Amino acid sequence: MIPRYQKIVFIGLLVVSIVMAVVLVRLRERAHDQLLKGEDLAPTSAPAVAPAEAATLLVANDMDGTLVEVKTSLPLPKDAGARARALLEKLFEIYAAAGAMHPVAGVARPVQQVFLLTVPEGAATNKNGSSTAAGMLAVVNLSGEFADGHPAGIAAESLTVESICATLHANLPQIAQVRFLVNGEVRKTLAGHADLTRTYLTSEIPSTAVTGTQPAGEARGVVQP
Amino acid sequence: MAVIVKPRTGSWRLLVALLLVPASIWAQAPLAHGTRSVVVLDAAHGGDDSGGQLGRGLPGSSAGESPVATVAEKSVTLTLSVRLRSLLAARGFAVVTTRESNVNLDADARAQVANHALALACLSLHATESGTGVHVFVSSLAPKDTRSGGRFLAWKTAQAGYVTQSLKLASVLNSAFEQSVAGGSAGSGSNAGVEAAAIPVSLGRTSLPGVDSMACPAVSVEVAPVRGADRQVVTDVTDTQYQTRIVEALAAALMEWRTEADTEAASHPKSSGGPQP
Ligand SMILES: [Zn+2]
Repeated sequence: MIPRYQKIVFIGLLVVSIVMAVVLVRLRERAHDQLLKGEDLAPTSAPAVAPAEAATLLVANDMDGTLVEVKTSLPLPKDAGARARALLEKLFEIYAAAGAMHPVAGVARPVQQVFLLTVPEGAATNKNGSSTAAGMLAVVNLSGEFADGHPAGIAAESLTVESICATLHANLPQIAQVRFLVNGEVRKTLAGHADLTRTYLTSEIPSTAVTGTQPAGEARGVVQP
Repeated sequence: MAVIVKPRTGSWRLLVALLLVPASIWAQAPLAHGTRSVVVLDAAHGGDDSGGQLGRGLPGSSAGESPVATVAEKSVTLTLSVRLRSLLAARGFAVVTTRESNVNLDADARAQVANHALALACLSLHATESGTGVHVFVSSLAPKDTRSGGRFLAWKTAQAGYVTQSLKLASVLNSAFEQSVAGGSAGSGSNAGVEAAAIPVSLGRTSLPGVDSMACPAVSVEVAPVRGADRQVVTDVTDTQYQTRIVEALAAALMEWRTEADTEAASHPKSSGGPQP
């Protein structure tokens, strides 16, 4: 009934379509793996030939709840996202060091990635209902290990969030907003307190860059008699 | 609703009786804060949410030689809430607590308790191992005038209408802790050397889901250990005497806050919308 040549053509097409399906699935898997490993492709530290650049870190101090401006120099990659990640890892190195003013346990890879996205003016509204300024949105993907090992407390967690936002803004002024992910997912809080579901505006972070000591009560500029 | 139903059988009668029980509880509420100032105490965390682990900052706990048993933040906050409640009750306040035991309670449920109470002040109590002294936090929401912006507030940002008052309340708490050096624990006298130093206070703004939904002057009070200049723990948050000093200072602050509210109410008798200084 069915001519022999039609059978051959049909079987041939079937084989071709199966092969194509397998190839497509393989390609998709490979692309997915590369995306997941994307952070590995971006250089975290510049090649040895790259000169160290000046950077400003805003380092938290648990004793008075302030952010202290620390000038440093470190090799920074050209790519803005990789640059942001290198800055934050330097900041967390300070927190992991013995005798740190804001101790946070050191982990192998505290920041998995920092993605930078352009936000058009007024595209988003913050919690207060005012529209946000134009600029970049930085999405900071922290490692679960870092978040799980973070000390619990309103002050401790807020200071980490604020120092991240302030450090990013100080070195990459185009960053106007910061959002957080932990292991690539939205997490309610950092360690039980600081809200990680909201967008932080770098303009809202109190500019408490102090070099000396201040009375604790005035440190964060809250009391308005 | 329950009154309209004509009970025909015993089970109906029981149902009606059950429906009337909550109504009678609510009926007492206006009476309570019509005569006395209401304070809401929210012992943070509870149930599955233990909060932080405290006691790790004590000498010996880090060295590993003599391990110190850690205590969950949720139980310290409950202890502080219970102790402060009895001090406030003795000073004539009507106290509403969000929890009295180790139960799960989400941010909305806490805010709901606070918002039913029409409170003079709402205190959310936390404890931590980080930093030193007492950390007072006010919502980071931008202040919003309730009188101009309509009668109803968005649930998630209800605190915006009270931020100005919450900042004033934080300032009253700050003064109380500063003054706690001289007269805070009068009567004990035995540990004069230990009690001489003031409890350091720091003030900050932050976004906390529970407090952000509270329609009352609200602050978060986070109790940290007292640390010396070398940042070593001098007094841990689990220290009973330290807790006594803290709840006494908080009670003194709330009495001052009530006095300010009464003075304000006397100078503006027209505004009968609750105790708003
Ligand atoms: Zn807490």
